[in-house]
Amino acid sequence: MHRHSYPLNAALRSTLSGNILAFACVAAALLVTKLLNSVFPTPLFFAAIVVSTWFGGTASGLLAVALAALVLDYYFVPPFHSFALRAGALPYLIQFAVPALLTCWIVKKRKDAEASLRQARDGLEGKVRESTAELRQANRQLKAEIADRIRAEEIVQRTQADLAHVTRVTTLGELAASIAHEVNQPLMAVVINGDACLQWLAREQPDLQEAREAVGRIIAEGNRAGEIIRRIRALFKNSPLQKAAVGINELIRDILAITQREIIRNGVTITTELETALPPVFGDRVQLQQVILNLVVNAIEAMSGITGPRELQIRSQCDGDNGVLITVRDSGPGFTQPERIFGAFFTTKPDGLGMGLSISRTIIEAHGGKLWATNAGDGAVFQFRLPIYRGSA
Amino acid sequence: MALDEPIVYVVDDDAAARAAIQSLLHSVGLHAEAFGSPQEFLARPRPDAPACLVLDVRLPGVSGLDFQRDLAASDVTIPIIFITGHGDIPMSVEAMKAGAMEFLTKPFRGQVLLDAIHKAIERDRATRQEQAKVAQLRQRLATLTPREREVMQLVISGLLNKQIAAQLGTGERTVKIHRGQVMRKMKADSLPDLVRMAGKLGIPSRE
Repeated sequence: MHRHSYPLNAALRSTLSGNILAFACVAAALLVTKLLNSVFPTPLFFAAIVVSTWFGGTASGLLAVALAALVLDYYFVPPFHSFALRAGALPYLIQFAVPALLTCWIVKKRKDAEASLRQARDGLEGKVRESTAELRQANRQLKAEIADRIRAEEIVQRTQADLAHVTRVTTLGELAASIAHEVNQPLMAVVINGDACLQWLAREQPDLQEAREAVGRIIAEGNRAGEIIRRIRALFKNSPLQKAAVGINELIRDILAITQREIIRNGVTITTELETALPPVFGDRVQLQQVILNLVVNAIEAMSGITGPRELQIRSQCDGDNGVLITVRDSGPGFTQPERIFGAFFTTKPDGLGMGLSISRTIIEAHGGKLWATNAGDGAVFQFRLPIYRGSA
Repeated sequence: MALDEPIVYVVDDDAAARAAIQSLLHSVGLHAEAFGSPQEFLARPRPDAPACLVLDVRLPGVSGLDFQRDLAASDVTIPIIFITGHGDIPMSVEAMKAGAMEFLTKPFRGQVLLDAIHKAIERDRATRQEQAKVAQLRQRLATLTPREREVMQLVISGLLNKQIAAQLGTGERTVKIHRGQVMRKMKADSLPDLVRMAGKLGIPSRE
């Protein structure tokens, strides 16, 4: 209740003070005019009307006009000290009243214009302040986002490098048994040759020739074991990119040597068609080895479930100015989602990471080449092209 | 080469392994022949002599275990010593169940291989003697007349001459003569000897 009555009181108070203002102004104008005994009394009353309208509003202004007209009629229009009007005095009063009303109206308009201007200015300032604050906020957010993105990119890069290493290690982990066999093979030959050598020497008439041959074989097998270990180490190393002229045929042979046991175990027949005059490519030996290893292991695994012949074809050829073209073709079931196989975490293997092909493509593209896959009716074909090495770049 | 000289066959796709094993066997005076694949081994005619086969489990084309099965299916009873790169337990169990002599994990000492080879050759020699003996008995059995064979079956079942005569509807004396013929033709010293021979030949006794 109290809250509702409050604006009414305020309105009443403002009307009241407007009226008082009008009375006061007109009274003051009368007093001054009387004191100065002015010949022209109207200007001061105009001033009273202006002040009343400006500070008291339209109602106060109109009251001031009415009061001023009455005062002029009473004091300054004959008959003096009387409200009675003579015909001759009417034009004088009209001459006063019309400009007075106009003045009242103009002052009111001016006052309104000024008020709305102030309001507009205040609003504008507020808006500017608001949008400045918003901009500042947006700026802060953007900076934070940029920092986040840089951090995320660093993480992605690091993760990708880690994953590349993991895949390399996992792929090799799957081949660990095969590698163990690979190393065991020369080791067994060393031991057996050693025993044979002792036997030749232990004969009643030691056969030095046979013993010498056995020792020769021991040395050869020791070197073979060393070579296998060197190749494996090169694959396991997580070293930064080292680009140099690389012979693709040699890489293919290395990978086939490493995967030989796996190939035999899976009953896969290998056909290689390596162009003898193949120019070297410019790239990182270990990374390119990883790509070929991935493709070969994928092919072997793709064929593990089929009953027909398991054939793996590897081909290298010079593709004119386009570079060197390498083709890995299997006789497996092919793939059903050609657009997805290069995506990260896409895998058809129960324990696959799904990073092999994704990383392979990244590696080939980082070498300025291209890796793609097609279904060939009776299997999958993976191909990649690498630019030819043209002197040290 | 003496007729009874044992032969060791080696099948391994790794040339270095073949050369080493062959040298070791030669150094102790064993005759050895090495092959790169089971096909090469099968293509070579084998003399009738005690032998054993040293076989790598992982071979190109066919696995050593498959090859073992193929040999058993075609009645080749040669003892097999498997060698393998890594001791795969299920695989070795399977091989031993299928009658492998030994399952050696690389790398192994030469003496271990030689011991296994000697054991395998001894077993092959015994098997061969046994097979020869059975073949001889079969030849003897073939000389019996149908009636003698009938009498032999009843004799090893533990029947007396009288019972046999009753069953066959002949005289006891006739049975006695047939029985004497059987013992003579089969070269059996006694009744238990004849029963043992029948067991080897797989002749069932009659109730």
